Amino acid sequence: MNLAAMSFAYLRARPLGAALNVLLLALGVATITVLLLASRQLEQRMHGDARGIDLVVGAKGSPMQLVLSAVFHIDVPPGNISVPEAKKLAAHRSVKQAIPMALGDSYQGFRIVGTTHDYPAHYGAKLGAGRLWGGPMEAVLGAEVARASRLAPGARIVGAHGLGGGAGGEHLHDEAPYEVVGVMAPTGTVIDRLVLTAVESVWEVHGTGGEPEEYQEFTALLLRYASPLAAATLPRQVNANPHLQAGSPAYESARLFSMVGAGVEVLQGFGVALMLAAGLSVFIALTNALEERRRDLAVMRMLGAGRGKLFGLLVLEGVLLASMGVALGLALGHVATAATGALLEARQQGALSGLFWLAEEWWIVGGALLVGLAAALAPGWRAYRTDLAGVLAEG
Amino acid sequence: MLSLSAIRQRYRSRLALSLEQFEVGAGEHWLVLGASGSGKTTLLNLAAGLLRATEGTVRAAGEDLGCLGEAALDRWRGRQVGIVPQKLHLVASLNVAQNLALAPWLAGLPPAAARAAELLAALGLADKAGARPAQLSHGQAQRVAVARAVMNRPALLLADEPTSNLDDAACAAALDLLQSQARDCGATLVVATHDRRARERFEKVLQL
Repeated sequence: MNLAAMSFAYLRARPLGAALNVLLLALGVATITVLLLASRQLEQRMHGDARGIDLVVGAKGSPMQLVLSAVFHIDVPPGNISVPEAKKLAAHRSVKQAIPMALGDSYQGFRIVGTTHDYPAHYGAKLGAGRLWGGPMEAVLGAEVARASRLAPGARIVGAHGLGGGAGGEHLHDEAPYEVVGVMAPTGTVIDRLVLTAVESVWEVHGTGGEPEEYQEFTALLLRYASPLAAATLPRQVNANPHLQAGSPAYESARLFSMVGAGVEVLQGFGVALMLAAGLSVFIALTNALEERRRDLAVMRMLGAGRGKLFGLLVLEGVLLASMGVALGLALGHVATAATGALLEARQQGALSGLFWLAEEWWIVGGALLVGLAAALAPGWRAYRTDLAGVLAEG
Repeated sequence: MLSLSAIRQRYRSRLALSLEQFEVGAGEHWLVLGASGSGKTTLLNLAAGLLRATEGTVRAAGEDLGCLGEAALDRWRGRQVGIVPQKLHLVASLNVAQNLALAPWLAGLPPAAARAAELLAALGLADKAGARPAQLSHGQAQRVAVARAVMNRPALLLADEPTSNLDDAACAAALDLLQSQARDCGATLVVATHDRRARERFEKVLQL
């Protein structure tokens, strides 16, 4: 016999009440866990995708839309920019590297990106099979695209106008199929969800292939600064051009997170409220259990139990309930995150992993245990002050 | 072994027990006989240290109970006193074996599974070790309560109304059980009851 065995025996004696308390606490913990895992992975993914890109230059419009479309590939671009203007900018002394990007089509929901070999090199991407594109109408699939489409080098694909990939009745470019010549190894970045090809391929598909360069267009340029000073001057110079707009991935993603973050905070607050409600419920359950067990606690005093032992018994019971709630909540949270990840993966929107442990989850564990402990303190104190003879006489 | 002197026990200004002197020698078996409300249970509670004397002195098993602090009193009670309450008060969520295991554990003594098995066998309850109190008859539950009370081989065994609502045969069996168990562990026995049928079983009687 020990304190834990006694606490378990009491919990087993009222399984429904104990199970409901555990479930309530678990729901609070799971809500916070899902939000934490999802927001943190999203943040990490966005930072990874934007890493090393100092500035995005595209057509006038919303800078956030420009960054979302050219860096994260989750929005449509605001427009195109002329190749001569883009080349002039790429040759600017403040620019160390400029990677051109031509967008417009997709394959089964995965965006087709016309670019140069510098783009996969920027992310440190390596080939998993085949080779990089050599000329127009050769394509290389990101790892996630290859996995989802089950295509390998040698296959032929047809792009669809827009981001729907043809499923929504968009125009299919049957007349200009791509030949898959390679598949990239997984990188954990946006590259995994893209179909890469030469800029000329995109021009050809859209009927401008072979025309003089001054009539061609890029969608955006991804720039790296030659020096830190460029951050202060180049965006202003770009924005002064009536046709160009500069967007900073760092600034725009921070802005996006501050907007989305408010919603995440509300949901996290909801999770905390759930946890506190669960704590209150554990408190009520323990108080009721104490009323039912005043006699048992008095009997234990009669048998020589010190007040500290009875206090410890109730506190341990609260902590046991909280521990079970935390364990179940964390498991539920991770499973729910994995399920959401699977759902997003099916929509080609990037995956979330449930097999991911954050240091902040220890705070959830600590917080929930504290809730269980706090809920047990008042009933524990009342048990400590039990009127022995009086309770035993009640029968 | 047990001495109560100049006791005036008040409960919310009501005098619950007035007792000039009550001396019990080691190993003696005493019957405290009295009508309902005469203070029998109060006397047992004082002897067990479940109540503090509002006036007077209680000495038991070598201790002046008024001088012991709460923790020391709990510890003393767990090791020196066995109590069979009127309502038996077995812990409903624990089985019979666990109810017996409570006694040494709560008194801070080593586990005594062999002692529990021996007692259950001696009381004809060997097959009830895993049963819950609700699954026992009154007679069986009473035997379990006695076994729990003598688990730690107490110096003082106290029983409150052990024969209430029992027929003659069961009354005799209950008193036999208490007296034999007290003898087996060399304990002093004090039984409080209003039941005059118990009178003939005891040589020493305190009438309240």
